[in-house]
Amino acid sequence: MTALALNEAGLVYDNGFAALRDISVQFARGSFTALVGPSGCGKSSLLRLLAGLEQPSIGSVTGLAQSDIGFVFQEPTLLAWRSVADNIALPLKIEGHAQSEIEARRDEALQLVGLTDFANALPRQLSGGMKMRVSLARALAKRPPVLLMDEPFAALDELTRFRLDDDLRAIWQRQNCTIVFVTHSVTEAAYLAERALVMQAGEIKSEIAIDQSDRADDFRGAPPFIAACAALSQALGHKRAAAK
Amino acid sequence: MMRYLAPVLVGLALLAIWEVWVSLADIPVFILPAPSAIGLALVENFASLMAALWVTVKVTAAAFFWAAISAIGLAIIFTRARLIEMALYPYVVTLQVTPVVAIAPLILIWVGFDNVSHALVMIAWIVAFFPMLTNTVQGLRSVDPQLHDLMRLSGANWWQRLCYLELPAALPSILTGAKISGGLALIGAVVAEFVAGSGASTGLAWRIIEAGNRLEIATMFASLALLSALGIVLFYLLSFCEWLLLHRWHESFRRG
Repeated sequence: MTALALNEAGLVYDNGFAALRDISVQFARGSFTALVGPSGCGKSSLLRLLAGLEQPSIGSVTGLAQSDIGFVFQEPTLLAWRSVADNIALPLKIEGHAQSEIEARRDEALQLVGLTDFANALPRQLSGGMKMRVSLARALAKRPPVLLMDEPFAALDELTRFRLDDDLRAIWQRQNCTIVFVTHSVTEAAYLAERALVMQAGEIKSEIAIDQSDRADDFRGAPPFIAACAALSQALGHKRAAAK
Repeated sequence: MMRYLAPVLVGLALLAIWEVWVSLADIPVFILPAPSAIGLALVENFASLMAALWVTVKVTAAAFFWAAISAIGLAIIFTRARLIEMALYPYVVTLQVTPVVAIAPLILIWVGFDNVSHALVMIAWIVAFFPMLTNTVQGLRSVDPQLHDLMRLSGANWWQRLCYLELPAALPSILTGAKISGGLALIGAVVAEFVAGSGASTGLAWRIIEAGNRLEIATMFASLALLSALGIVLFYLLSFCEWLLLHRWHESFRRG
């Protein structure tokens, strides 16, 4: 069953720049899709279209209401004057949930990302990785059927990123939500997603299925992961320099 | 400790040099009174100077209050409706660049000498209003666009956006504007009292004119010292408010 879809959608900004051209793609309910491509290829624009933050210039978006979408930005995007707990609770408060419901969801989200002990801390007291966890918890607290993530771990060091990738997969499996994850990292896409869409110059160039059926703890060394990385690299146009 | 002690020591040293110099050079009291004479004038005229100080405090506080309310209100309208900003901004600038001394007599005539305190507040308000407005507009406009997206995705209405995001995010700029406007409100109050003159106002500025006319130069200096003290208290009061509201979360209070 389809959770989100773009139907022959295009997006042209006010300055005339065509960010997306003729995109038709479906995202099945409960799926994990990675959008991969170089900077400026339209990944973030596609995500903003799905979130309803931009309207398509042509074509249409079939999707959910904005209240059913959790969005994680590239930056943690936290309100510096509010504590971790208050940052997570704010969207719920705005949506008008009862206080008891807000507290329950907030505490659950804090537990999911392992930040219960930092509920009263301010963003400036946290590391980069912890801030991203708060941002993720804020999106998860809405219990959204769809989670859209725009290069959320791009600014983090490799080890923190690996840990957050694992956390995200565990959350996805537990919550059974639909995730669309933008990244420019081939290995991150191959590690996280069941399907990767390779984008170039505002178009989806290819679609690569990633075999996650027999996923062991050391997936980063497993043949399906290596194969997916190779396929993604090739789709992105990377060729080894020919030996003379 | 030295942070507080150093300026006090410098002040005391300057007063001592002043005292000795006036005495040694035998400077007449109607040219430059010694600090001790100024202190004496302050004690002798304490009741009347405090009454005058209170008048100036009331005008300054009222002007600052209305400047803050009107500037923040107008800044919110400007950031919400570009057309209103485009229509009104030239007139706001005109109000700012026209020398207040030139329009103060008109305001006094229009408002009337029966309501001189209202006229004083209005004149001081004109001086204090602009920095508060420009700082607030800049603060409201500088909110991270991604935070606006976050509010949109949460379905926030304009009031929620204002209360939860824009005003707190603009608070550092608003408070910077407030510190500038606080000092300007006092300057505006003094200018207004000078223009009103002739006993229509009974604030510190009027006491300076009156003492000058009577060649009571020590009383003049005592009034001036009180005005400076009022300005300093106002600045530190607003700085304290800034610290109170920002020190927990804002980068400007992060120690290196």
